[in-house]
Amino acid sequence: MAKKEIPEINAGSMADIAFLLLIFFLVTTTMDKDTAYIRSIPKKVIVKTPPVDVEKRNICAILANSKNQLMVRGEIMNNPDDISEKVIEWYTKNEITNDVTNNFPMYSRISMKEIDEKIADFTAVAEEFEATPNASADMIDFKWKQVQEWENKKKALKLLGKSVLPELHFQAHVRIEVQKETAYELFAKIQSELEEAIYTLRDKASNEIFGESYGVIKKRYDANEGDKSKQVQAREDKEKLDLLKILYPDRFIEVTPKK
Amino acid sequence: MSKFKKEGKKNAPGINTSSLPDIVFMLLFFFMVATTTKDADPTVSVTSPEGVRATDMTPYKQRSEIDFMYLGKPRNAARAAEFNYGFALFLDNVAQPDPGDLYSTNYIRQWKKDKFNSKPPSMTKPIESVITCVKADKEAPSGIIFDIRKELQEIDALTIAYAVRDKSNI
Repeated sequence: MAKKEIPEINAGSMADIAFLLLIFFLVTTTMDKDTAYIRSIPKKVIVKTPPVDVEKRNICAILANSKNQLMVRGEIMNNPDDISEKVIEWYTKNEITNDVTNNFPMYSRISMKEIDEKIADFTAVAEEFEATPNASADMIDFKWKQVQEWENKKKALKLLGKSVLPELHFQAHVRIEVQKETAYELFAKIQSELEEAIYTLRDKASNEIFGESYGVIKKRYDANEGDKSKQVQAREDKEKLDLLKILYPDRFIEVTPKK
Repeated sequence: MSKFKKEGKKNAPGINTSSLPDIVFMLLFFFMVATTTKDADPTVSVTSPEGVRATDMTPYKQRSEIDFMYLGKPRNAARAAEFNYGFALFLDNVAQPDPGDLYSTNYIRQWKKDKFNSKPPSMTKPIESVITCVKADKEAPSGIIFDIRKELQEIDALTIAYAVRDKSNI
């Protein structure tokens, strides 16, 4: 008997099967990106301390009531799109020169020499704490963190390349006060406007100092962060971002509604 | 005698389609790889509000550093009356011990802890920096958001994200 040739399998319909699978995945997939505003929740405090007095000029209060009406720094606002401009004004009013008569937060301008003195002072305190018997570990940690904070400022000023580092008053903050019935849409809108304000401010500073946009630096940092071969670039970008953060800190407080 | 054959009537040769499946499979695999799947379909309907300059959550998702919860009107309209303001909370993909817990804030702590414990070992972040993303409906009352915040604060899960639909052109 002659050898029978094995007939070839017809693969013509393979494409159909693959197409079917492909179309199934295409239909069941939603391509929308998840985007959100990341905020941190303050740690729960067990020991109650009396509230600290904060000067009115240091607060940028954004209020929204249960009827979804807005008030920014005591002024009723009909268009929520204007919040960002108000916030930018609040941030930058005293940036160039302090004016005691207006109702906006003060800026401190600190020189390299002063920063060095502060570092020396805080280091001495921290070392003293460490040497003290029975000192709590948290306290020592806290003291060293203060030193670190000044070290970061030193780095920032070096990068800024000016004689002084302008810094917003340490108590200055934006407060979001809503009521229980305030629609989430408005709450999100306030967050959106704040984000826009911070972005605008940092972007402007970034363009002036580094000649590139804040968004570009941030994106590049996010992409390079985990990449070992691009560590140098990532570290450079981190320093830039830190400086921008010191110049325009995002201190937002969300007040828990009572009624 | 001509050296060249006169062109007679000849059928056009069939195109070889044997590599077509390869191409299609390649497409298929691209979509399979580029897709992240949702854990569960929420039983509440959510229309997110719009915002600009929001952070993209995809990198956090890929590192499983994020848990989602949904706040909206129940799809089953008959149930709406059972809840405060008619809005219910849906926690992502978890075996609920009690059906009553499904839609209340009481269960958040347990849920978040369970989620945290089931994370892959490659995830080394402490619970403080594991994001909880709240996808809330436009009309949801902010009071519930703050109730959620309070529950999260209790267990030191201190990073929250408010979901919006990004309308800025990045």
